[in-house]
Amino acid sequence: MSYKIAVGSSDGVNVNLKFGEVSKFLIYDIDDDIRFVGARKVDKRSLDNTNKADVSANCNSGCSSDNSCGNKGNGCGGEEGVLKLISTINDCRCVVCKKVGFQAQKQFEKRAITVFDVEMPINDALDKIASYYKKIDHHQSLRK
Amino acid sequence: MAKLLDKQRYKCALGAMQTVQAIDRALPILHSGPGCAQKLSESIGSSGYFSPNIFPCTSINEKDVVFGGVKKLNSTIENALKVIDADLYVVLTGCIPEIVGDDSGEVVSRYADNDKPVVYAPTAGFKGNNYKGHEQVVDAIIDQYLKKSDKRTKGLVNIWADVPYQDLFWLGNLRELEKLISEIGLTPNTIFGYQRGIQNINKIPEAEFNLLVSPWVGLSNMKKMEKKLGIPYLHYKTLPIGATETSKFLREVGRFAEIDSELVESVIKKHENYYYYLIERYADLFLENRVINKQFSLVSDAHYALAITKFLANDLGLVPAKQFIVDDTPKKYQEEISNEFKKLNYGIEADVAFETDGFKIHEEIKNHDYHGYPLILGGYYEKEVTEQLKGNFLNISYPVQDKVVFDDFYVGYTGGIRLIEDIYTVAVQRFN
Repeated sequence: MSYKIAVGSSDGVNVNLKFGEVSKFLIYDIDDDIRFVGARKVDKRSLDNTNKADVSANCNSGCSSDNSCGNKGNGCGGEEGVLKLISTINDCRCVVCKKVGFQAQKQFEKRAITVFDVEMPINDALDKIASYYKKIDHHQSLRK
Repeated sequence: MAKLLDKQRYKCALGAMQTVQAIDRALPILHSGPGCAQKLSESIGSSGYFSPNIFPCTSINEKDVVFGGVKKLNSTIENALKVIDADLYVVLTGCIPEIVGDDSGEVVSRYADNDKPVVYAPTAGFKGNNYKGHEQVVDAIIDQYLKKSDKRTKGLVNIWADVPYQDLFWLGNLRELEKLISEIGLTPNTIFGYQRGIQNINKIPEAEFNLLVSPWVGLSNMKKMEKKLGIPYLHYKTLPIGATETSKFLREVGRFAEIDSELVESVIKKHENYYYYLIERYADLFLENRVINKQFSLVSDAHYALAITKFLANDLGLVPAKQFIVDDTPKKYQEEISNEFKKLNYGIEADVAFETDGFKIHEEIKNHDYHGYPLILGGYYEKEVTEQLKGNFLNISYPVQDKVVFDDFYVGYTGGIRLIEDIYTVAVQRFN
């Protein structure tokens, strides 16, 4: 069973970007081996209005655009920014970044996309994740 | 845990966080998923200076399964030491970190030089239940904290008996055992409950001997202490309830500690006189054979099953039906414990089953001829089945929902009287 992993990295070697800092996600395809399939650019400026309604439904009063949290968070670009970023990698099984903010984590959780916030070489991270998914997909024990 | 679907009589090994909690000013640090402490802490009487809601926990998640949770464990210990003032920190691991292979022992060993002791007990659920976990915690203290002492304090005895919180009467029982032991001239030392704590743990290596009052829980701890600290032990299998067993208990402890038998006999005589004075006064109640049931069954851990069976048969003259031991007693102890049930007065022998399947137990109870209404002493699960049989029920073992116990106890002469009171309080209600 093949699946994709999105990675936040500026150099293609290390996981070194926070989720909000990513301008293009590196996408890897995992089948029997791990294959880099390309980068996906994130257009942070064009906001999708249909998603906006979705957000206000999710967190009604707490963080609507005209109070404290605004949509001006400087990391991920506020709620619309988060959704924009997430929609770019909606088809991935998990996302690997140096740090992922709370709001983004919750949104990923809703879409059953796992968040791994680690800081390490991409290869190491992908090896570990791939071997983990392989075991749970084949109902094998994680026991070492 | 063998095939346990419902009617759970114990918890997983991580339930030993309650053993830690019972030590005054000792704090469990949990390396487990979020929610473990919540699930394991439903017993009442567990609030206080430290309570399960504030136990530091690594709350590990999927990320830690993939990448390991040792970093989180390290920071959790580090910060717990900074913000929580305790005398002893006990790191307990749940299933997940042990399955994925976190080396928690190594992390804890980094704190070997800390002013306050930090020890580590592997308490993964798949290793056993909380009886086993209790042993692991005591083992951790022996292995990682206690050191052999050249000093021996004459007459100092470490007493080990109940598993705190799992046993409703743990506090009261320990205190009463302390009292009995001091009456025959020994100095008791226990580590659980009010104002015991670290200062009593420090006294353990100086004791003359260990006294274990339990059929099997704690035996491995005694062996470990004998080997590491050079302390011999006396294993008294039956929790003494009532005059017959308590007198036997005091004589045996007296013999082991080489105490003047005249002193022991005088203590026994004093207690027995009062005990039988009470029994005599209520003989009319005991002899009224419509009041009490002819046969009884226990459904509890080995500790109470053995203790109460002996008490009801030897002191009250009731006839034991089948007894059910539900603590998942390790196989190697089962034969020895079964044999204890054959040593009742008047040549009576009790049949005993080691069974964790509540359905089977209830079927057996329903199908047995108790020659009238049964008397069932067990967990709350037995209430309904006893009601169906119109029997008398007393909730004496986990889970307990019928009774609130602060520091009451069933051990000793007084404890025996308390148990009679409780049983007859249930029995006489039938005629109200």
